[in-house]
Order: sequence, then structure tokens, then C-alpha cells
Amino acid sequence: MNVLNFDSRQCDRTRRQMDAYLSNELLVETTDDMLRHLEDCEGCSSELESRMRIREALQGAAARQPAPEELGENIHQRLKKAQSRPYWTARAPAWTLALAGVALIAIAAIAGQQWMRMERAREMVASVLQLGVSDHLHCAIRGHNYPDVANPPEVLRKKLGPQYARLLPAVETKLPGFQVLEAHICSVPGSPRKYVHFITRGEGTILSVILTRRDGESLPAGRFVTGGSFGNVNLYEKQLEGMSVAGFEVGGYFGFVVSNLGQHDTNQLAEGLAPALQTALNAGASRAATSVYVTLFQG
Amino acid sequence: MFSKSTAGLEGFEAAAMPHLTALYRTAKFLVRNPAEAEDLVQDVYLEALKSFHRFQPGTNCKAWLFSILFHRFHHLRRRMLKSSLEETLPDQDSMAAEPPAPQEIKDEEILAALDKVPLAFREVVVMADIEEFSYKEIAGALKLPLGTVMSRLSRGRKLLREELSEVAKSYGIGNRTQHAAEGEPA
Repeated sequence: MNVLNFDSRQCDRTRRQMDAYLSNELLVETTDDMLRHLEDCEGCSSELESRMRIREALQGAAARQPAPEELGENIHQRLKKAQSRPYWTARAPAWTLALAGVALIAIAAIAGQQWMRMERAREMVASVLQLGVSDHLHCAIRGHNYPDVANPPEVLRKKLGPQYARLLPAVETKLPGFQVLEAHICSVPGSPRKYVHFITRGEGTILSVILTRRDGESLPAGRFVTGGSFGNVNLYEKQLEGMSVAGFEVGGYFGFVVSNLGQHDTNQLAEGLAPALQTALNAGASRAATSVYVTLFQG
Repeated sequence: MFSKSTAGLEGFEAAAMPHLTALYRTAKFLVRNPAEAEDLVQDVYLEALKSFHRFQPGTNCKAWLFSILFHRFHHLRRRMLKSSLEETLPDQDSMAAEPPAPQEIKDEEILAALDKVPLAFREVVVMADIEEFSYKEIAGALKLPLGTVMSRLSRGRKLLREELSEVAKSYGIGNRTQHAAEGEPA
């Protein structure tokens, strides 16, 4: 049996500390002091037991109070609805609406700028793709600068020069069903620009493969890649002047496959060809760099 | 541009929904009415979703949700009552002896007793004894000084015990306890 402790000051202190003890907010040292007193004091010990019993009863009763089953689902539905609703329809004081108005104007301005940038990017893609179509129409279709019987490969290699001759196997093998009739370096009237031009025939039509230096210009990525991405090649597609063009970047060049086959087929051919051209250009890049420049711009 | 992503909602629900039961029972202890408690909890979740970007992952989500709950609750209450909470506080602690707690306490008895404790004390008791928040977390959620939390908790527990004694008496449990103490057959 415990010996009753009549030190009322200690009892007072213990009872004052009981709330903190129950909430686990007492310092370790104070807890030790208190536990030592409780061992000796039946009154304080039974007081603590009484308090603990109430606390446990309260916790137990609360834990047995479940939330309504449908509450979780109702909340989920309201959250989903709130999420899909624009913020400004939520209840809001007038100043927040005014602020929202200012923000909207700012957003509109930014969106306007964004739209302008996008328009410029779209125009840039269109103008680059236009190059391929113009070259194809100018040289192959209107100029008819190809023989009815394909030039032999050695003639084509000679016309292309040592730097571009290495591209010939890629074009020959990656356009199944097409024969390379002609290959040469072509110049654009009234412009310093030149381009490497392969004229092929297949599927009852004439198809051009064209490479022209891009002089550091790049086609925009992201949403402007209209023809899809294949490996590290982005494809850009457009239909212009009755032709389908699939454009891409290979090394320092813009490449184009142009035909009247329809966009899907043209894209597919470009998709197969672009990586092979890339490989061929890379293989010759170190040795050809200087002469490419000479061939295309000063030749 | 204006709405949050589905991934955001999923992240929010993963963090916040586990505390639904705790929020609901606390809301019910505050407003006493199940339908109002449901409305309050739904408002808390909507409010929390809106400010979820301010919640720091890894910090105590339950404490954050409870602070929204109390903010919302006190806001509604102030609007309805247009009176200060402090006016409803009973007199300060008397030194009257505390009645012993019954050996067996039924759920309905302790819940009825809690219901009778004035709100200012009830909310602190619920936070400390049911949800086991620290003094600091309670002070944060209720926007009270730490000392006030401590004194309200002490007073709230005492009031709960007094109410429990009254409730137990009305249920006849006080008598039962007394009989048992006197060694009479139950």
C-alpha cells in the first residue's frame, strides 16, 4: 500500500502539471519529478487515473463517430466541379474581381504577344517549306531539268561533286520504288541561294529531294512540328501549290521531300530518308565543311 | 490557364482526404448538427483546394486542414452571432473539488457531457484530447496565445468532468458507482 503524502505544495504542483502531462507537453525532468510524487501519493495518483479515464472515454467515443459514407464522394464531386470552374466564378469580393480584370488584361496582352510570336513562327515554317516547293516547281516541274532515262550513277556523282555524292546512296535506297533521274547543284535566279537537288521518278510522278543551307536558322519546335517527330528528326508538313512538302533539318541544312503524292506518303518517304541523309552528312562533315561552303555559295 | 490540373486534384485528395473523419467529427462537436457539419467540412475542402499551392508538402496536413476548419467556423459564427466569443466564457476556475470520474463511461454520456461544455473550451478539449494536437498546433489553428490554450484546456477538462458527473447522475450511473463503492450488489 502506498504511503499517503501530505505535502500539499507538491500535490498542488502535480495537479497543475497534470494537464500538460496528459497532453505530453511536460519536460522530461518535470515528468520524472511528477511520476516520483505519484508513486507516493494515492490522492494525486487516483486523480490522474480519473482524468485519463475521461480522456480515453472521450477518444473512444469520438473514434466511434464515423463520417457519413457519402460525404467523401460528395466532397470529391464538389472538388472536381470547383476545379473545372474558372476561379472568377467563385464567390469573391469586388476588389478581387477588379484585380482579376487587371490580370485578365495582362494575360490578354501576354496572350497577344504569344499569339504574335506563334504567328511569326508559323510564317517562318511556311516560308521555309515554300523554298522546297518553289525549287521543285522551278527546276523539276516547270524546268523539266531531268532526262527521261536516268543518268548513270557516276554522272550523278560527278554532278553532285565529292561533298554531296555521298548523299546519293541514301536517296537511292531510302525512297523505295523511286529512281534517281537527276542530281545536281541548282541555283535560284536572283538569289545567292543554292540547293542540292535530287529528281526522282516513281509511282507515276516526279519527286524532289532538296537540301539547302539554313545559315543558322532553325525551325521552331513544339506545336509547329506538324508532321511528327522521328528519333531526333522533326517533320514539318504543308501543302502548297498542289504539292505536298515534308521539311526537316539535317545538319546545317533544311531538307525537303516534295511531290504531288499526298501528304501522308510524302511524309513517310521523308521520315525514312531524313536519318540517312543526316548520317551521310555527318560522315562527310569534317572533311567537307569548307568545300560545302565553296560549292554552295561561291561555286 | 484558370483551372488546376487533374494531377493537382489527385495530389490534394491524397493528402487531404485521409483526414475527412477527423474533420467531420470535430465539425460536429463544434456545430452540433450533422448536416451543418457536413456543409462545413465540404467548405473546408473547397477552401483547402484553392490554397493548396500554399501548403508545403511534408508539413502537417491535418493541422493545416484544422486551421482552415476553425477559420471557416469562427468566420461563420461571427457573422451569425455578431458577438464576441469571449462574452460566452463562464467564470474563471473555482477551486471546488472535482467529482471522481465514473469507472465505466458510455459513449453517449461522454458525448453529451462534451456537448454541454461551452464552445471556447470545447474546441480546445477536442483538439487536444481527441485529435491530439500539440499546444502549439492548437494555438496556430485557433489563433490563440499558447497560455490561453493551456488555461482553456485545463478549464475545459474540468468542465467536461463536471458535466459528465451530472450526465452520469441523470443516467443513474453515479448511483451505480456509489452502490458499488458501498459493496452492495449491482
